[in-house]
Amino acid sequence: MTDRTTFVRTRTVDSVPAPVLGRGAPSTTARTARTRRGRRGGSHVVAHLVLGVGGLLMAFPFVWQIIMSLSTNTEVQSVTPVFWPAELQWDNYARVFDRLPFLSQLQTSVTITVIRTVAQILLCTLAGYAFARMRFRGRGLLLALVLSILMVPSQVYLLSQYQLVQGFGLLDSLGGLVLPGLFSAFGTFLMRTAFLAMPAELEEAARLDGANPFQIFWKVMLPLAMPSISVLAITTVLWSWNELLWPLVVTTFSEKMPLSAGLATLIGDRTTDYPVVMAASLLAMAPVLILFIVLQRRVIDGLASSGLK
Amino acid sequence: MAGDGIWPWLFIAPLVAGISVFYFWPVLQTAFYSLTDWGVFGGWTFAGFANYVTLFADPALYLSLGNTLLYTAIVLLGIPIAVYLASLLNLPGLRFAGLYRVLFFLPYVAMPTAVAMVWRVIFNGDFGLLNHALAIVGIDGPYWISTPGAATVAVAIVGLWSSLGFSMIVLAAGLKNIPPEMYEAAELDGATRWRQFRSITVPLLTPSIFFVTIITVISSFQLFDLLYAILGSSNPVLPKSMSLVYFFYREGFVNNDKGYAAAIAMVIFLIIGIVTAIQFRLQKRWVQGD
Amino acid sequence: MSPSFPTPARRGAAVLAGAVGLALALSGCSGGSGGAAGGSGEYAAPESDLSAKITYGVWDQNQVPAIEENIAAFNEEYPDIDVTVNVTPFAEYWTKLQTQASSDTLPDLFWMNGPNIGLYASNGQIEPITGAVDAGDLDLGNYPEALVDLYNIDDVQYGVPKDFDTIGIWANKALFEQAGVPLPEGDWTWQEFQDTAAQISSALSAEGVYGGAGGMDGQTTYYNTIFQAGGTVIDGDASGYASPEAAEGIQFWTDLIASGGSPSIQQLTDTTGDQWFTSGKLAMYWGGSWFRSAITDTDLAANVTVLPLPSGEEQATVIHGVSNVVSAASKNKQAAQALQVFLASEEAQQQQGDAGAVIPAFTGTQSAFTESLPDANLQVFLDSVEYAKPLPVSKNSAAWNAEEAELLPQAFAGERPVAEVTEELAEKMDAALAEE
Repeated sequence: MTDRTTFVRTRTVDSVPAPVLGRGAPSTTARTARTRRGRRGGSHVVAHLVLGVGGLLMAFPFVWQIIMSLSTNTEVQSVTPVFWPAELQWDNYARVFDRLPFLSQLQTSVTITVIRTVAQILLCTLAGYAFARMRFRGRGLLLALVLSILMVPSQVYLLSQYQLVQGFGLLDSLGGLVLPGLFSAFGTFLMRTAFLAMPAELEEAARLDGANPFQIFWKVMLPLAMPSISVLAITTVLWSWNELLWPLVVTTFSEKMPLSAGLATLIGDRTTDYPVVMAASLLAMAPVLILFIVLQRRVIDGLASSGLK
Repeated sequence: MAGDGIWPWLFIAPLVAGISVFYFWPVLQTAFYSLTDWGVFGGWTFAGFANYVTLFADPALYLSLGNTLLYTAIVLLGIPIAVYLASLLNLPGLRFAGLYRVLFFLPYVAMPTAVAMVWRVIFNGDFGLLNHALAIVGIDGPYWISTPGAATVAVAIVGLWSSLGFSMIVLAAGLKNIPPEMYEAAELDGATRWRQFRSITVPLLTPSIFFVTIITVISSFQLFDLLYAILGSSNPVLPKSMSLVYFFYREGFVNNDKGYAAAIAMVIFLIIGIVTAIQFRLQKRWVQGD
Repeated sequence: MSPSFPTPARRGAAVLAGAVGLALALSGCSGGSGGAAGGSGEYAAPESDLSAKITYGVWDQNQVPAIEENIAAFNEEYPDIDVTVNVTPFAEYWTKLQTQASSDTLPDLFWMNGPNIGLYASNGQIEPITGAVDAGDLDLGNYPEALVDLYNIDDVQYGVPKDFDTIGIWANKALFEQAGVPLPEGDWTWQEFQDTAAQISSALSAEGVYGGAGGMDGQTTYYNTIFQAGGTVIDGDASGYASPEAAEGIQFWTDLIASGGSPSIQQLTDTTGDQWFTSGKLAMYWGGSWFRSAITDTDLAANVTVLPLPSGEEQATVIHGVSNVVSAASKNKQAAQALQVFLASEEAQQQQGDAGAVIPAFTGTQSAFTESLPDANLQVFLDSVEYAKPLPVSKNSAAWNAEEAELLPQAFAGERPVAEVTEELAEKMDAALAEE
């Protein structure tokens, strides 16, 4: 099959010994692809400086959130700010489990997120591919219409979607929770962009081999789009994980709510126990963060080093 | 021009069907209700263009549009930063690249309400860290979240902070599409790293940059949650700092003038639509290979 | 209530839908009940074997344990009525309620507050309680009168309060001592308050401590002083801001800020009054009885006492409370009403009081509240019910609340004369009220 030949070809390219004329870089061990790259462009001091300082700035509010999750409510709200609690309040994390049916809400979150992510990857890659690489009447117009739904404030959809779900008899059900989120204009646009950037020769070759458009899409183009698919997966997971208004409106049982909605119930109209909110939100984001760490190493790096670009 | 027959329709059918039912339909309903006097709990009377006439005479529209544009402009500054950072992260053999990626990605994962609380502490006029830091270099910082203008800038800083991670992962995926051989060739020609960045990375990344720009503009125009969370609902500068979508929300869900809110939604739709259409026009000039 | 969507909309919508090939969408969605059909208030206590499933919509997670105790007690009487409690955070509660009301899916029983009762009652979304009152199952005399009135719209009673809150002054005794200012005792006047606040501010200015604090929350600050000056915020169908008394009530805060007795409004936006207080930088915080939960179990608790609000022309405090109301569209109205009546009973209210999250509304069930901080003189909040005025509301309170938020800061900051601002506010508020 064509995709395998591509795979083999690039892999061969990758294993070709590196050009010897690298400038400046202290060449350590030779022969591996890694050092081949390491040789190009000299030292990384500036890069480390920029990324290190920038990264710390980016992470700072988050680190502070961790500290707040271990403080008392008085310390969190104190002026002047308290940077380190008098005593670490690990109890705040235990209280999360008292206040929320955390595990059953986690389960709901995982379920709806998996369903939506799989559905979006499937539907968006299909449509994105068609919009990018196929010719059909009305393509531009349809794409514009799909994109146009991004331009309306999301609250506009609330009432209509609620009544649609009500009409389908899906209020307070898993189906009602996931349904509108199965379809994504953003994802379609993302995948269209990814497919647009790909070379046409691969499709041509497969077509000459007698593959039909679906086979070309599935076996040739889809594997090439993996980096963008992982981006789509990450963004969909995050969006679904943090989504607040919709699950709050369509569910009436706290056990059926996803975590995002459960967390919001910790915020009171007059007084709020902020450390518990901080602790709960850190617990809730942990699975997504772990997923990202795995994805960015396995998928983005993994694909790059296997030569499947 | 010959098409691909039935195939493209099979490819797009599931998505387009879903989008039509759950998204087009509500938009059409909204378009219709924007021409009515729409009751809080349903029911309506036809009002023609009355809502639009009132809207275009409402200073709040221009005020919120101005605030939204300022916010969008500041958040867009994040894109060149993201391109530069993503290209640094893509440097071959860079150690700790995974760690850096996670650091930059953190803000994007963090739960908005929790993070807003932290930012309120940072921006606090009397006791905030930002003003402490500014005082060290001799600048007397404003009451960020309670001064009109400064409040928009403060919210935009958070917007930039939280969107950088998103831009970077999209761009990182784009960078993977640039063959390393090109850099090797440039290296052989003696091109400096900055030169490589300008003549290889940026041009070949333009489709991704274009995508990120479009999405950033669209989502910046949708500014609402962040503004609400950081400024707080009883902030006296909120009326002066509101965004278009906040204006929409205030009329529709607080003041219960739903027909008017529908008209605002349609105007937002139109504005973003025009801005996006212009961007698509302009892309022919600067985006490669599209 | 069946959906009563006018026909032209159906047709118009169908044409639009057809244009993009969307006939499918028509099946379930052109909902919305615009009329003010409402309920009749018909009521009959159900037989104890009534079987039903009902939902109960609330916004405060903290109160769920007490609610569950209530429901357990309710189920002893009605074992086959299955009640599901649905918590939605306050910020999203009203958006959800509006969506549900527009789709005839309101919870059978749900919490209502003063600013929203007018809107929901006048649009026929809520079942009156007249039947239960006539049957003698609900006695309006058991609850604070000002709050009973809050849930009376156009002479129809829609609910009784389940709890209440009043406003008092939370005082930090340690700061008084540090400033060398004696702690006020008993009733006091505006002038005495102003002097005390200014004295503490100047004595402790080096520590950045303030004597008092204003703010943009009318319920805890300027509504009280407007009432104390003998003014009103809303008077029948018109704004009360045009009166000189209302202007005096606003002037109180302008003076307090000008004298240095309070941080500026800008400072109070960045750091709210309760934050100044819990940080030990504010001696006197005008706050609601609900603030107790932020104080108990903190180091501050031992230093805190509650003072009554000062008197102007008269004594006054703002009272507000939440009510349980039955949806007019409920399919299990009898069961919902039975729960509504039970929750208002002395038994259920005593349970609420003992759980300690709120002050229950039923007269005589409040002792647990005062005992929760025995040295803090919480009795002030209960005693002030006598002269309390209900939170000012109208059918669309939010519209003129927004005008207050926009205009009053100019008066508090001394940017414009108070009377000029209140006059402009009265005009804008009247315009908003006229649209209701």
